[in-house]
Amino acid sequence: MRDKIFLSFLFVFFIFYFLFFILAKVIFAQQITLSVSPPLIETTIKPGKSILIAYTLQNLADPAVFKVKILPFTPKDHSGHIDLKSEFEGPVRFSLDNSVIKMNEPFMLKKEGQQLLLRIRIPEGAPEGDYYYTLLAETQPPPVADGVVGTAAKATVGSNILITVSYNGKVDVKGKIFSFDILPRIKLGNLNVFDSNDKIPVALTVENEGKNLIKPQGEIVLRGNFGERAAYAIIPQNVLAMSKRIMQATPSAEICGTGTARCAPTTLILSGFFIGKYNLSANVNFGENSIAAMANVSFIALPLKVILGIIIAAGAGILIVKKIRD
Amino acid sequence: MKNKIFLSFLFVFFIFYILFFILIESVRAADMKSSTYRIKYANINIGAEGSTSPGYNLSTTIGQTAAGEFTSAGYTVKAGFQYWHAIVPFTFSVSDTGIDLGSLIPNTPSTADTTLSVSFGGAGNYQVTAIEEGPLRTMAGNAIDNTACNGGSDTCTSAAAKLWDNNSSYGFGYKMADEDIPQTYTDCGSNCYRPFPDATATSPVQNPEVVMSSSNVTVDLTSKPKDIVHQSTVTFKANISPLQETGSYQTVINFVATPTF
Repeated sequence: MRDKIFLSFLFVFFIFYFLFFILAKVIFAQQITLSVSPPLIETTIKPGKSILIAYTLQNLADPAVFKVKILPFTPKDHSGHIDLKSEFEGPVRFSLDNSVIKMNEPFMLKKEGQQLLLRIRIPEGAPEGDYYYTLLAETQPPPVADGVVGTAAKATVGSNILITVSYNGKVDVKGKIFSFDILPRIKLGNLNVFDSNDKIPVALTVENEGKNLIKPQGEIVLRGNFGERAAYAIIPQNVLAMSKRIMQATPSAEICGTGTARCAPTTLILSGFFIGKYNLSANVNFGENSIAAMANVSFIALPLKVILGIIIAAGAGILIVKKIRD
Repeated sequence: MKNKIFLSFLFVFFIFYILFFILIESVRAADMKSSTYRIKYANINIGAEGSTSPGYNLSTTIGQTAAGEFTSAGYTVKAGFQYWHAIVPFTFSVSDTGIDLGSLIPNTPSTADTTLSVSFGGAGNYQVTAIEEGPLRTMAGNAIDNTACNGGSDTCTSAAAKLWDNNSSYGFGYKMADEDIPQTYTDCGSNCYRPFPDATATSPVQNPEVVMSSSNVTVDLTSKPKDIVHQSTVTFKANISPLQETGSYQTVINFVATPTF
């Protein structure tokens, strides 16, 4: 009898044991995948007015605790990257119109989307000018297990907000071409020399000396000595107040050197077979009631590698002929 | 004799060819004027019309077309990138948020990886920065210092990665591999590390360091599969001396992904 009870107990135990391992969920390392949309807001607002922007924050991975905050930023470089300030500043007031989610307060977000209703209010008497901020949604780091050495990663995703405060909607447009140049392989005096098969990197930097952001537009035109012509549209990107930006036209890329040389962002990369002298002109328009700007630069493309090959082949040929004669 | 004449001709031809291009007048960048002309016009309406084809419909707006709207409502708003119709939202992913370096053994480096991914169909350009909220520290206040790498000529900083393959060099640091990583890693090599900047440092104050960035609209929608996700691997490394106090050392690394403006 006892044996039977023991066997039954053992049977039930094994059944539960196997069921536990079959039904238990597989657990992976905690992953965070965040998305925010739209990635950029540009607005012009009168003092005393407020607007409501609807953002979509999506958590595409494990449930996590989030916090939403706003920080001001300044342009970091000439490529459109930003430097976030550590503390909030400026006259613009931000709040969330959501019923349960508040600014700077943690909230749980499962694997789903959450609409964030951001209210932007410009107080009466706020000085005219541009104010740049980033909406940040950050996860709260998970606890690290005791007894081990480890780090917890906190993921933050941002969306930039460019605010122009104006009483009448007029903006201060003071743009100019800061530089328009070619990054040559060989520079002989003022001559930019390339091999015929080289890629030609072109860099156009626009400077905004005004109090408001501008969005330059225009084109870069390539003219060859045989009458050929190609036009490349400049992508209308924001140049923030009192800053510079390397504009982009397609196809663009980075040219990276070796050693300590940094990758140089460029406006345009020209590729193909070039021979002779070419002229590049940039025509840039900064907006209504502004003077358009134009700049030129030229380069020379020679089949240097072919010439070198011919010279080496000729030299080698002469040597061979001489040796045969001797 | 014939060969000599031919070679002489070839030599003279190349001399003239090169002289021609050296002596011709060069044209340099100029701001919309030269000694002989000045171009002055207020506006170019290159974006007045939409561009259409059977495959796409591209809309563009230029200038202050929203002036009337501003007068009546008191504001104008533009969302997203005007030059890029976004279909992929700006997305940032960390594959593992709990990076476990295990139980450390003196003079035996321990490493752990996590993958950072950025999708930027709409944003195009982006950067990911990183900063630590203090060095690896126990509750009692003992700390594992940030690495200086091998030291000497291989002394790394939060900006510059250097070789760290000496098991007698202690500390905590990280290296980056794969796409869009800082050039200091590609220049230095696969065994190069650097410390995280420390958010608690006061003299001098340390700023977040860029760990991934792209300065160009590199999304290639013609590639197969579509290149809309850029990935890099962060390898964390810790190495302790035999004198290191025992304990549970922890810190938080803050990765911040932002699109450009």
